[in-house]
Amino acid sequence: MIRRGLAIALLIITALLLQSTVFAQLRLLGVRPELLYLVTIVVAFQEGPAEGSVVGFLSGLAQDLLLNEPKGILALTLTLLGYAVGMLRPFIVSPSPLVPTILAAAGTVGGVVFYVVVSFLLGNFSAGARFALQVALLTGAYNAVLTPIAFPLLRRVLEGSRPRRVVRF
Amino acid sequence: MASVGARPRPRATRLLVASLVSASLVIITLDYRGGEAGPLASLGRAAKASIAPLQELVTDLVRPVATVVSGIANLPSLAEENRRLREELATALTEVRQTRFQAEQLRELEDLLGLRAELDPQGVPAVVTASGVSNFEWTITINRGSNDGIAVDMPVVAGSAESPRLVGKVIEVTPISAEVELILDRASAVAAVVEGSGAVGLVWGQGNEDLLMEGVDPDADIRGDESVFTKGYRVDGQPGLYPPGILIGQVSRVSPTGNSLETPLRIRPAVDFATLDFVLVLTTRAREAAS
Repeated sequence: MIRRGLAIALLIITALLLQSTVFAQLRLLGVRPELLYLVTIVVAFQEGPAEGSVVGFLSGLAQDLLLNEPKGILALTLTLLGYAVGMLRPFIVSPSPLVPTILAAAGTVGGVVFYVVVSFLLGNFSAGARFALQVALLTGAYNAVLTPIAFPLLRRVLEGSRPRRVVRF
Repeated sequence: MASVGARPRPRATRLLVASLVSASLVIITLDYRGGEAGPLASLGRAAKASIAPLQELVTDLVRPVATVVSGIANLPSLAEENRRLREELATALTEVRQTRFQAEQLRELEDLLGLRAELDPQGVPAVVTASGVSNFEWTITINRGSNDGIAVDMPVVAGSAESPRLVGKVIEVTPISAEVELILDRASAVAAVVEGSGAVGLVWGQGNEDLLMEGVDPDADIRGDESVFTKGYRVDGQPGLYPPGILIGQVSRVSPTGNSLETPLRIRPAVDFATLDFVLVLTTRAREAAS
């Protein structure tokens, strides 16, 4: 369990570091990917809604702490995103490798839109709907492009750190 | 305390999600009410301080690679750019010679009027170690903090203290790092003056697009391509945030509107934020306030 926690923490910190340094330079039409959305989606896809929402909450909170928005909005967004993707998982029967990619794109777009709406309702978003939608679609596309690299990598970390199959609640 | 196998337990999961959602809502509320002094803001500063050294490390490792990659990407346009720059240099040199004479005169007058401190600010050089993590915030992190005398609201420029170009202002400091809000950020507004016509207005950040200058007198004679500088306002003897005379950018578009109360201008920033590696934090203002 401790190993699992450490692996997840390391994953979140690495994602934040990459996003604020490397991907700040590697932008797609001015937009960088949302790596923590990707982490949440992949974990939820692999491990189900419970772990998906916990990892979503933790990743969201970690990124929130680095932002100047009211903190907690991303924690809320990614908790729900992790839960939603995890709940959706049993209904997807196709073994196609495209499934995670499509899920990453759709999940990211939905997540960013949700984030912007909450941010707007709190009076903290002034950029306009057109710009928000553009960013949502572009980050979705970027995350989808990164999925074929991130998915096997994350799966390896998750399986390598998996505690014995008995889960205690 | 039952221990269960791989079988999913929807009720337990729902309960878990409900408590995480409530926790998020509590955090949002706490942060909203606490503001800059609240527990979450301090937690945020602690997080930023602890990730800053790691960001600096990664940036140091990545910078040479990034330089090579962007160099290769720009190769085809380099010859053309070289030719253009030579022409610009020739023009600029002439202007410099003309300006130097005027600057001397200005300096003498400033000395007479005791204005020097404001126009000749002290700076702390800093390295850009990271940019913000969000697509909706335009910030950078620098490797100097309150230990080096950096404080919130200090102006940040690129280039030298003699020919500064405006980058933004410090919005948060930790002992070892500081966060700078770029003038691109939608929350950023800078009082500015257009060279030549002397028209004044507020320059707003527009994200990845050119800056927007509002409040400009429609009668002002602006053809485009003029330089725009910061305008140092003084209200009740208190100086404004930015010292006057810092270059913000060039007018890129003049768009007259139907209502003729103002002419919105588009300003192309003088700083290339994508390749910004070094900045100067101007500290004079804080010293003035302290004394």
